[in-house]
Amino acid sequence: MSTETTGLGTPESLTDAEREAVEAELRPLADGEFVLAERYTEWQVQAPTLESDLAISNIAQDELGHARLWYDLLEDFGYTEADLIWEASPGEFRHPTLVELPFAEGDWADAIVRGYLYDAYESRHLHALEGTSYPRIADRVGKVLAEEDYHTQHARNWLSRLCDDEPGRERVQNALDRLFPYALTLFAETEHEDAIVEMRIRTESLAAMRGEWLEVVVPRLESLGLSVPASEDGEVLVDLPDQVGKDGSHTEHWPELLEEFTRTYRKLELGEPPRLLEDPNEA
Amino acid sequence: MTDQDTANAGSPSSPDGIAEQDIETEATIEGPEYCAYTDYNQDTPSETSLPATGENATGVEQRVWDRLYEIDDPEMPVSIVDLGLIYGVRAVEESEDTTGDAADAAGTRVAIDMTLTYTGCPARKMLTEEIEAEVRSVEGVSEVSLDLVWSPNWSLSMVTEQGRADLREFGLSVPEGEEA
Repeated sequence: MSTETTGLGTPESLTDAEREAVEAELRPLADGEFVLAERYTEWQVQAPTLESDLAISNIAQDELGHARLWYDLLEDFGYTEADLIWEASPGEFRHPTLVELPFAEGDWADAIVRGYLYDAYESRHLHALEGTSYPRIADRVGKVLAEEDYHTQHARNWLSRLCDDEPGRERVQNALDRLFPYALTLFAETEHEDAIVEMRIRTESLAAMRGEWLEVVVPRLESLGLSVPASEDGEVLVDLPDQVGKDGSHTEHWPELLEEFTRTYRKLELGEPPRLLEDPNEA
Repeated sequence: MTDQDTANAGSPSSPDGIAEQDIETEATIEGPEYCAYTDYNQDTPSETSLPATGENATGVEQRVWDRLYEIDDPEMPVSIVDLGLIYGVRAVEESEDTTGDAADAAGTRVAIDMTLTYTGCPARKMLTEEIEAEVRSVEGVSEVSLDLVWSPNWSLSMVTEQGRADLREFGLSVPEGEEA
């Protein structure tokens, strides 16, 4: 590859436009993994079997690991973890809203459908990053991909089991009806989409990725007796929700979740600089 | 390293046939130049050059390898070198060192490339800080820069013979010729 013409260089050497595009690609990816994991952890003592407690915890741990890998690359640009997560405002997060929704109460099918739709997307996204022009991303893609197989297997396995009888299938159908429009936010474009593709930070457009995703998820879900509001040819019968996440717009559930998982950080006053003496002006 | 890594390692872990693998990424695109961002790593690690063990290292590099051998994985009694986590150790020549501070101090800046068995490793900070502190106290070292790298992907094939023996002793068997 001729680095001169198409490859991006070190974090310090990027032009403003390149850096903006790299950030725009990484932020939804990092936040998506992080917030999905936050939601998964709600299940880790309540999944239907001890093995699934372990499985969902393990998957959450992987996704947190992936989030950390992508946040590392944002930290290359001078941000700290506190800037990116613990002290960030709700609107600074760019994850697709699929991952922030609370689970329908006690609904394991929700966790499984969400995981399936997300993992099928993530795998596609990672493949579209394998040929990235940004070496810092290229270094990490293979490692993350290798850890995704198990997630996909887990979700498919549970989907089949849940769809084994009518009451189970009905639960899955309800979860699918509720989540599918939000799953479309995974492919929502940002204003940086053209730049990301032109600079080959990602080698496929989100539109193309969505097409491939539909080709895979629609037949599989239909084969389980589920009805999907889309066809594998790319026709989609539902609208995008009002809040897509990747533009900074979020559902009302998001500030609540953020508040909850940053509570310890705030309680420990980690955001406050330590002071040995009272400010004389305030004394 | 978790039990899951080793448990999975023995059996082929290819998922059943859904089209994840069928989606062709554009195979014609040539990959980016690996490690174009590192300024010090001339010998890019590759599957064939690993595990790196410091076999032919001399001087300060050899002393660093010796110290790294003394550091165990946080979960198992096996050296991080024998586990295959260290991808490279390199003493940075004075002339290459443009960062300034090190030039004043007596000693050499040492650059280390390492990986972790899995991305969610909760001991990442503990381990990297331990390594930095240990290596900084090696004779002749003035400064340590530790880079976490993820390519090539760590696998059981990077465990050395000694590492396999230590793992067996611990009760974990690494299959012969395991390429994970």
